Amino acid sequence: MAEEKQSGWRWGVNRWIVLGLIILSVFTSQAYPPLQPHIQLPAENVSGPLFMLLGQPFYLTNTLVATLLADIILLLIGFSFWRSSRKSEGQALKGITGVIEGMVEVLYNLTESTAGKWAKTIFPFFATITLLVLVSNWMELIPGVDSIGVFDEHHIAEEAQCDITTYHVLGMELEAVVGGDSECSAGVVPFVRVASTDLNFTLAIAIFAVAGIQVVGLRAQGMGYLTKFWNTSTLFKVPMFGVIDFGVGLIELVSEFVKVLSFAFRLFGNIFAGSVMLFVIGSLVPVFAQSAFLMLEFFVGAIQAIVFGMLTMIFMSQATISHAHGDDH
Amino acid sequence: MDAEAAILIKEGLKLIGAGLAMIGAVGAGAGIGIVASGAVQAMGRNPDATGTIQTNMILGIAFAESIGIFCLVVALLILFVF
Amino acid sequence: MDQLGQLGINLGYLLVQITNFAIIFFVLRIWVYVPLVKVLEDRRERIAKGLEDARIAAEARENAEAEAEKIMTEARSKAAAEAREVTVRAEAQAKDIRAAAEAEAGKAREKALADVEAERNRLLGDVRGQVAGLAVAAAQKLIGEALDTNRQRALIDEFFSGVKAGKVTVLPDAGKLTGDGAVVTSALPLTKSEEEAVQNDILKTLGGKGKVDFKVDPRILGGLVVRVGDKVLDGSVSGQLNELRQNLR
Repeated sequence: MAEEKQSGWRWGVNRWIVLGLIILSVFTSQAYPPLQPHIQLPAENVSGPLFMLLGQPFYLTNTLVATLLADIILLLIGFSFWRSSRKSEGQALKGITGVIEGMVEVLYNLTESTAGKWAKTIFPFFATITLLVLVSNWMELIPGVDSIGVFDEHHIAEEAQCDITTYHVLGMELEAVVGGDSECSAGVVPFVRVASTDLNFTLAIAIFAVAGIQVVGLRAQGMGYLTKFWNTSTLFKVPMFGVIDFGVGLIELVSEFVKVLSFAFRLFGNIFAGSVMLFVIGSLVPVFAQSAFLMLEFFVGAIQAIVFGMLTMIFMSQATISHAHGDDH
Repeated sequence: MDAEAAILIKEGLKLIGAGLAMIGAVGAGAGIGIVASGAVQAMGRNPDATGTIQTNMILGIAFAESIGIFCLVVALLILFVF
Repeated sequence: MDQLGQLGINLGYLLVQITNFAIIFFVLRIWVYVPLVKVLEDRRERIAKGLEDARIAAEARENAEAEAEKIMTEARSKAAAEAREVTVRAEAQAKDIRAAAEAEAGKAREKALADVEAERNRLLGDVRGQVAGLAVAAAQKLIGEALDTNRQRALIDEFFSGVKAGKVTVLPDAGKLTGDGAVVTSALPLTKSEEEAVQNDILKTLGGKGKVDFKVDPRILGGLVVRVGDKVLDGSVSGQLNELRQNLR
């Protein structure tokens, strides 16, 4: 009874806090009306050219910053897990590593139920993809990502009129774009932009995953795996269907490349569309509406991460099964 | 017709084209709905097979969704590339 | 290439991202996946071993339980048999003891009864003289003159003993009597001579042999009740009074 009462009391306070924040956001959006967002596909550079790579200057882009942040988070988790797993000697892990162990164990059991004895080979791909994509997807929920950055006047078209206020905080000059045309927001180059909204990131993972599928297939079936793509075994023995089998093999070959595109653009499309939607909702209805869409993006980010990893896992487990002998046609 | 008007018309047509390209997402949406409904019915009939059905459902949804993703890619190409 | 650049795809960044992912992949594989899989397999093995151990232990326990059950059953049946034997013996003993006690008690009671009867007879014998005196005194008072005291006494004796001139008064009315003995009940104890006379008379009637027991019962008021076998010759005053009452009614 006491607990019930207490939770009721907490909810009673929380709703006043929510109401207060909504009223506060009404006033702040009156004082500083949000700008029309600037949407662009390629990542922006946040530093000067660092070194030459393949004959081109290499800049540190804001999606690369986000990727590095996700890397650091994952490596910290991995390191703490490694350290505590060495200490614990088979005991159940405590604290945050125990939580992570539980989650990763769920992924492992899923892999085992799908892939059977190849689970140990497939599982690292599945888990790494899921974890990295999950961390970088959820980064878009953090306030300040996509909105805090360097101000670069070169990006703004010359005829645009912009209100720029300069604040002095702790001896630093902070500039804020507080008004003007929609072009003005293009001047802000955010330090961090969600990694999944960069096609390089998603394409890299997709290529890695599809290459991994081929590697797993080759390890499981040896050279027999390649007959899936170049199927001449029935070409001269069976009059009509041999040709069809050969054609199916070629289609399989094409579908491997389509897999790359499909992986890359699925993740990119979902997360890019999600962050664009967050900008647009935030600029159209500055009060409260974005909260609901943040919740939606939370789920979309998790689902896309799991789908990316799970599809890789399923394709890999299919690659371990030979089709040549199982089918009777 | 001067050059400026031609550019403006091209910009407008690009927007229209991008919008039209996204019509293809209708098929993807319908497909995902059909897959999910079939999977839910199958799970209701045979709850023991939930794991297998879920795996295949996600696979099917991914294939159906990839058509929608191609539509999105075409729309993005129209908007930003050409 | 320019169109891919418009989409943001750049070969250099792509390579950087692939390298980055590969590094993460291999580092996490060394730090997380290999230990985790090992831990999981260890745990699974240990659980399997634990289950096996538990199964063996359960089996052993079941065996032990069956053994214990058998032993218990045997012990119980043995104990039951012993207990039954003991009970039987104890019951027999108890019966013996009870019988002995009852016999003892019966003996004691009989003895006590005999004592009491003897005592009562003695007391009644004492009373008899006084009753006779009283009766004589009452008769003198009634009639107003002194009777012959001896005759009076004889009458009274006759009244009490039912013996008249050495003959038992009731006997001739009974006709033929046969029996091994007789029980003679009188209201007050008879004197030795009277007893002898009654005995002689009865024995003569019966054929000279047999045993005559004497009993005292004041309720019959006077006279004698002689019982021979299943025949009762009622010469008592109370019997005569009852007869009189029946006739008068």
